[in-house]
Amino acid sequence: MESSVAHLARTALQAALLVLLGPLVTGFIQKLKARLQCRRGASLWQPYRDLAKLLRKGTVQSDTASPFFRAIPVLVLAATVTTAAMLPVLWAPSGPSSLPLGDAILLVALLALARFLLAIGALDAGGAFGGMGASREMTVGLLVEPALMLAVFSVAVSGGTTDVGLLAARREALALSWTAPDLLALFAMLILALAETGRIPVDNPDTHLELTMLHEGMLLEHSGPGLACIVLATHVKQLVILTLVAALFLPLGLARGAAPGELALALAAFAVKVVLLATFLGLVESSYAKLRFFRVPQFLGLGLVCAFLALALRVL
Amino acid sequence: MTRVTVWLGHLVILGAAIAAAVLALGFLAGSAPAVHVALPRFFPFVSMSLAVDGLSAFFLVVIALVTAAAALYGPSYLAGHAKAPGVQTVALAVFVACMALVCCAGDLVTFLLAWEGMTLASWVLVVADGSEENARAGLLYLVMAHAGTAALLVAFLTLAERAHGFDFAAVRAAARGLDGGERTALFMLALAGFGAKAGVVPLHVWLPKAHPAAPSHASALMSGVMLKVALYGIFRFGFDLLAPAGGRLPASWGWTVLLLGTASAVIGVLLALQQHDLKRLLAFHSVENVGIILIGAGVAMLLGGGRGARPLATLALAAALLHTLNHAAFKGLLFLGAGSVLARTGVRNMEELGGLARRMPWTAWLFLLGAVAISALPPLNGFVSEWMTFQALLLGGVRLGGASGLLAGVAASMLALTGGLAAACFAKAFGVTFLGRPRTAHAEHAVESPAPMIAGMLLLALACLALGLAPGWAMRLLDRPTAELLGGAGASAAVTSSGPLVLSAGDAAAGLGATSISVTASAALLALLAALAWALRGWPRKAPRRLAPTWTCGMTPTARFDYTGTAFAKPLRLIFAALYRPRREVLKETGPNPYVIRRLGYAGEVVDLAETVLYAQVKHWVTAGAHEIRTYSTGRIHGYIAFVLVTLVVSLLLFAKA
Repeated sequence: MESSVAHLARTALQAALLVLLGPLVTGFIQKLKARLQCRRGASLWQPYRDLAKLLRKGTVQSDTASPFFRAIPVLVLAATVTTAAMLPVLWAPSGPSSLPLGDAILLVALLALARFLLAIGALDAGGAFGGMGASREMTVGLLVEPALMLAVFSVAVSGGTTDVGLLAARREALALSWTAPDLLALFAMLILALAETGRIPVDNPDTHLELTMLHEGMLLEHSGPGLACIVLATHVKQLVILTLVAALFLPLGLARGAAPGELALALAAFAVKVVLLATFLGLVESSYAKLRFFRVPQFLGLGLVCAFLALALRVL
Repeated sequence: MTRVTVWLGHLVILGAAIAAAVLALGFLAGSAPAVHVALPRFFPFVSMSLAVDGLSAFFLVVIALVTAAAALYGPSYLAGHAKAPGVQTVALAVFVACMALVCCAGDLVTFLLAWEGMTLASWVLVVADGSEENARAGLLYLVMAHAGTAALLVAFLTLAERAHGFDFAAVRAAARGLDGGERTALFMLALAGFGAKAGVVPLHVWLPKAHPAAPSHASALMSGVMLKVALYGIFRFGFDLLAPAGGRLPASWGWTVLLLGTASAVIGVLLALQQHDLKRLLAFHSVENVGIILIGAGVAMLLGGGRGARPLATLALAAALLHTLNHAAFKGLLFLGAGSVLARTGVRNMEELGGLARRMPWTAWLFLLGAVAISALPPLNGFVSEWMTFQALLLGGVRLGGASGLLAGVAASMLALTGGLAAACFAKAFGVTFLGRPRTAHAEHAVESPAPMIAGMLLLALACLALGLAPGWAMRLLDRPTAELLGGAGASAAVTSSGPLVLSAGDAAAGLGATSISVTASAALLALLAALAWALRGWPRKAPRRLAPTWTCGMTPTARFDYTGTAFAKPLRLIFAALYRPRREVLKETGPNPYVIRRLGYAGEVVDLAETVLYAQVKHWVTAGAHEIRTYSTGRIHGYIAFVLVTLVVSLLLFAKA
């Protein structure tokens, strides 16, 4: 059992890293998409500039909204950042800690809490777009959850725990010696990652057209610093999902101590993994069209079947 | 005069609930031996008794918690718009007393009498307002409840015949000698009987009709507690009375309970999603939560008593029992919240509400708390018990392996689906009822409910918070019941490893390390981050904040722009169309010009497949059977006497002992 102070410091550092790098990953995906479309595209740092701009702006709030409306962006951000504190980014835990936070089920549930609060906020303003966005986002969310649970379980069966950090530490030894269940579960996870990060073919993060938007529809009535909180939460959630996939399937190069060389290696490994997965998101987004909403269940059903097969191969 | 009587009656109930809670908690925390009290001899052929052990005491806590809240809430609620409040108060007292008596019964006769009293008293509450619709709901309830009781009666009489007595101790001893087939047949009969009362799919059809019909605090008791009393029966018979000598239960029991639980959870929540009636929606969620409890119980049955899996079985049973308590707390809270809305607006249909969060803030925020809890979202109590159920399914699945392991995996994924559906359902229920603009004058002119009603809700809300944030202490309550039913060290040894704030689940025997979570720590982190974000948001400069109408594409915003509950649930209606069989009718009335629509009508509904397919078939058979025997049913009295005589003689020849 490592000392609590060191554990807390590491947790805080890793969470801060995910929060600070979240917008950069979005910037990277945007840049990649622009290059693939033969455009120069905005700078990598554009998401940070957008956040800074939003933070300086005033707030316009719907006059039908309840007092709770103002608290929603803050709570959504807090729930998302809490999940950022639950993942192994640079360090693999050496053993169970006295302050256990890293459970995958809790992580999924906290993301669901953020989604639930966002949906409540969208219904609060009393516009049809908000309700439509909330209805669709909740629908996609609940279709993702069973498949995600199966995929996580199929990995947890081989590691014997649902604690993501411990799982990564235990699987590091057999990393990249993937068996069929791993590949199936990874395939399922990639499909689910597309849905959870709100990317094409499930959702389109660039649109504000009412017929196509899911996540963006819920954000319409938020403005100024409140909107900044939600946008930041969206960036962080995207990186959290990517880090979760990396921790479950690519648990390589995690540091054990605090030696500078080891840390540099861990940071580089983390960067490579995230760039790899972000490139996947960007490539899919550039090469596919958005699915019609009622085709999404079939797409996610593919993930469910793969995750189920992965679990079946592990258990039987 | 009546008002004073009603208040007095409820205060007596409140006092009794507090006393029962204190005694039961003391019993659970201490190590006093089980209590056995012989009752005065009422029937010549049977001696009745009360027996309180850990399981009984735990269910007494569940009953007392919701009863206390309902007793606080009741008088103000009845003062508003109730017929015969005095009768309702008496029925409530009898109802609660009978539920407590079922859990404390020490023999089959006492159990059955209290069980019947519970059914009849709750029936009085269902039909109390005298409307035609509620009378029909009450009739269906009575029929289903008595069909269940009939199944129980067969099981009880068979057991009593084997045991040569009705006492639980004698029954337990006699059940050890049963052979496998008989034991399983008796368990299935008991499961059917209790399942009909607990609302297990497909025996749930009466529940969403009867529960909403009762006054809201009685609905809270029926959904939050009466279903649990039926589950008490399943726990008592499955794990205790009918258990074989080695304690290892037949695998068929675990499979049946796990499958029924999974089906109830998913179907219950899917049907709940399509309801507009707030109380009926909550009633369908009770079907879902009974399913979740049965999932835990089924895993415990599969693992129980075999091959060193005892800590895992304890984890599963603890999850089931904790969810029993949790569901009582949040479902009670939600029903009381819905009742508060009903009392102030007179409307149960959420499409006619809206905007109540500004008019009834206490009710709204307490309802939201209950909604977060029932959707199994952290950091409240619903998450804790579902987390334990997930861990039991995962670790149990690994331990069992093979087909049972895969079934556990499927159940886990269905449980995740259930959680997601519940969150969608309560985003809809809360959003449409309390947020946006008021859709009718009823909602427009609503005011907050009186303080006693708020107090009742607050009590249950505090229970939800406490059970969520300090789950380790709840585990202490489960120590005695789990140790009694499964043997071994009890729940807190299996689930808490380092202090009451950390839960951990593991299977050391299989070489699997423990997974630990601390809901408390993550809640603290969440609160800290929220405070930080709140401070940061105002930090760069004091930006102006102004109010403006919601953007509705340039038109004047009215309540017609608010998303309705029907619209919110539409994607799921289409995705799960095979199950819902949605019917949709759009009536267009045009004038001479076909492009100008004068009136537009929309009607739509979804069906409960169990009701339309299964029950329609049963009804068809019963009617056909009645037609068949019509020729023999002449109405002449000597014919009937002859039938009775022949039946009696044949029965005596068949069953009489030498």
